[in-house]
Amino acid sequence: MAIDSLKICTVCASNNNRSMESHKQLKDAGYDVKSFGTGSAVRLPGPLIDRPNVYEFGTPYEDIYNDLMSQEAHKMYESNGLIHMLNRNRHVKRAPEKWHANAYAGKFDLVITCEERCFDSVIDDLMYRLVNKEDADTEVKQVVHVVNVDIKDDNENAFIGAKGIVKLVTMIHEFKERAKEKRKNGSFEDESELLLEDNMMRILTEWQREHTHLQTLYGVAYY
Amino acid sequence: MADIVGQLEQARNLAFSNREMFPQVLRQVFPLAGNADLTIQRWCSQFFKDAFRASSDKLDPAAKIDLAIDAVDTLLLLMQVPDHEVVKNTIDASVVVFRLVYRYVADNDGSNGIWAKLQQLKAHIAGKYLTTWPLDAADTNEADMRRNIEINLELLKFVMLVIDYQLRSPTQPGFFSLSKVNPNHTLMKPQQLEAEAHKLLEKVLQVLEWDILVTPVVTATLTQLAFVAHRKPQFITRVFKTVENFDLASKYQSNYESVEEFKLSRKYTDRSIRIFLSHTLKYQLVPPNYQQVANKKVSQVVSRGDEVRRRDILAIEDPSITKRKFEGFENGTKRLQNLDYKSLYCLTDPNNELNSFDLTTLPPNILVSMTIAALNKALPERLAKGLDIICLRYNSALQGATGSEVKKLELDDEDDNMENFSSDTVFTLPPPQALNFAEKKEHLSLIIQNFFSLADQKIPEVNDKQDTGAQLTQIAIKTWKKDSWYVLLTRLATRGMRAAPGEGIDVEKEQELADMVRQAIFDYFLANIHSRIDIVIEWLNEEWYAEKVFNEGKALQKMAQENNGVVTEEMRIEVDFLTTPTPIYEKWSSKVLDSMISFIEPGDRKIFIRLLSDLPYLTDEMVSRIKSLCYDPGRAKIGFLSLQFLVMYRPPVKSACLNVLKELAEGDQDDLKEEATKLLEKYS
Repeated sequence: MAIDSLKICTVCASNNNRSMESHKQLKDAGYDVKSFGTGSAVRLPGPLIDRPNVYEFGTPYEDIYNDLMSQEAHKMYESNGLIHMLNRNRHVKRAPEKWHANAYAGKFDLVITCEERCFDSVIDDLMYRLVNKEDADTEVKQVVHVVNVDIKDDNENAFIGAKGIVKLVTMIHEFKERAKEKRKNGSFEDESELLLEDNMMRILTEWQREHTHLQTLYGVAYY
Repeated sequence: MADIVGQLEQARNLAFSNREMFPQVLRQVFPLAGNADLTIQRWCSQFFKDAFRASSDKLDPAAKIDLAIDAVDTLLLLMQVPDHEVVKNTIDASVVVFRLVYRYVADNDGSNGIWAKLQQLKAHIAGKYLTTWPLDAADTNEADMRRNIEINLELLKFVMLVIDYQLRSPTQPGFFSLSKVNPNHTLMKPQQLEAEAHKLLEKVLQVLEWDILVTPVVTATLTQLAFVAHRKPQFITRVFKTVENFDLASKYQSNYESVEEFKLSRKYTDRSIRIFLSHTLKYQLVPPNYQQVANKKVSQVVSRGDEVRRRDILAIEDPSITKRKFEGFENGTKRLQNLDYKSLYCLTDPNNELNSFDLTTLPPNILVSMTIAALNKALPERLAKGLDIICLRYNSALQGATGSEVKKLELDDEDDNMENFSSDTVFTLPPPQALNFAEKKEHLSLIIQNFFSLADQKIPEVNDKQDTGAQLTQIAIKTWKKDSWYVLLTRLATRGMRAAPGEGIDVEKEQELADMVRQAIFDYFLANIHSRIDIVIEWLNEEWYAEKVFNEGKALQKMAQENNGVVTEEMRIEVDFLTTPTPIYEKWSSKVLDSMISFIEPGDRKIFIRLLSDLPYLTDEMVSRIKSLCYDPGRAKIGFLSLQFLVMYRPPVKSACLNVLKELAEGDQDDLKEEATKLLEKYS
């Protein structure tokens, strides 16, 4: 990987649309990225509004795809973009994954959620993880930046939102690169200028100015 | 240095691949942390962090406890290295070491020495929380609150660990806390430990009470407070009191952030409060007397959040936002922008008109009373900070001027410096650095440009009559005349930059530089061949002469070398008879000739013949170029005329000219045949 990438993950409710579009775009841009969903199950639109298609996390996108194609309403799924979405997803990774059971995936430096509810859920879960078990002696908590970029759950907005997320991630990495360069050359007045944590709010503000249609939340947590 | 790090890497690999060897390797690395080199210190801190986090299949847990006990001194040492990377790793290693050693002492009453050291490490690390270590302090507290967030977030982890271990937790199996320490322990006195932890908790809560919002620290604190709420119910009331009093309306915009950043900060912290409250309500951690408060606060932050949820928060006007009172200096930069006293001492806005007021126009008595009044008014702390800034600017300027040597100069004590000053000390500037080739080229092209700009300058005619004989022995330029510039320039190319192979001389590169000048003269000539023929003739004459003299000199030197370095008169004569090659001259005169031949018009007869007659040396090859002129019906006349001229006035090339004519006479163009045959008959 050319980029000295932070460990990043994207999070939405079902790990299908918004987090997967961002996952794909970040991956294509060369970042170290994974994605998760915070919902209790994977919920996709069904033939009627009160009859969603529900799958368990871990069901491969391939299976979901085949299941939808075998349904009567498959023409509708094709026209509303659902089929296209799953086709994209199965080329990015195998199956939707649940945030709350993601300990196997290791720790992330940057978590980007796509909905305020998901942001709340992630922080709430991280708070819980701090206390739910005695730390192993080898355990050392690590700082994680959690950012929410609010994205409406449809195809077009998922695409636009993901572009915004890629931009934000790029800005953060560019900051780190510049800091590295400045540190090497000694071309800084105050070392604080070089620390990501000291400048995170400034970077977010700068990004927000250019993305007024994407609302944000941010917090620091440990895990 | 790379060697040492390489060896260390090997040791590290050994440690991680050999469970038996690990403790021994780690113990051998401990003393290296005392090395003054930052690369090694960083490496050590990283290794300690990784080693103490190593799982039990890599490092025996029992051995790890012993190692942790022995590591305390080393970690204490590394915490004092002013480098964020070292400090960060050391905090992480200390988290593990603290746990292990603390529990060891709990189980082994009487470990006085170990306990004392651990207390020292704990106090040192926890004491750094909410300071700027390892950064220098800024000139205001407000700036410092917002600086060094990176390390403070790390320190918060350690502080929370201390709080967890030094306070009781309700009996839960598995979780270690003060409850598990023997109440009669002779070293770990519960009251003392609790009081200490309580003080630390107060410090943690402090960031919520600040009058500005430092969002990363505030939000991180709130997630940690959830931990307190779960584990230390006895302190939940204290925590809720602070959360209840946390009021966004009372926070100021910092002078070091934009109003947009402040707006976002308010939104972000509001959300964190909401999540904290929802979390504690969900897990039924809220004390009964705070239930109502918590619910009210939740609905308050929820409605505030919903209000801005879909709106562009940056665009929402809020006249209630006020900036915190600024304690700093308008111009607090610690690097000197310009090397003058004004920039050194200026702490006000540099654009302020007041700065251009010349105080020397005031009478001394007024100045004195003004100064006394100002000094009386100045707060000592602020004055000291101002002087600190000036001192730092002075230091940075010194470092910038002469490199790291000056760093050792101590400027703390002004009197001291006065004593050390001696007027006898001789200061020398460092010698200038040699130019590299690219820089040389750049400068040369600048020089060439400057020469050509002289060509356009009007120089008054100077009358310096001298007899020709004297001139030969005189210097080339006595007074600056209209044509002096190209005398100098041609000599620069032909003599100034001609180098004999020798030590540190790259002949090819020198030649390339000289060719830059030649090309420039050539291009100048091409731009107007009619009026600049004199210049080109002068140049090529210089070129030939210089090259001949130079190559003859070389030949002579070679002969002398064969004769033990002695030059004899015979040798000089011999050299005179040698045909010295002049390849550079030939190359450039051919170029000039070629360009002339392609440019000249039928009316340019005079200048072309002038060139042919004044070039110092013509080769057969150069003469044969005239042939192409003869083939051109419009300019054939010039061609034949020049050949005729050369036959008559330059005997050395007569035969070459006749050869050309012969070729033409034997050719298949009748008109040329006729003309050539006519000339051949006349001169051969």
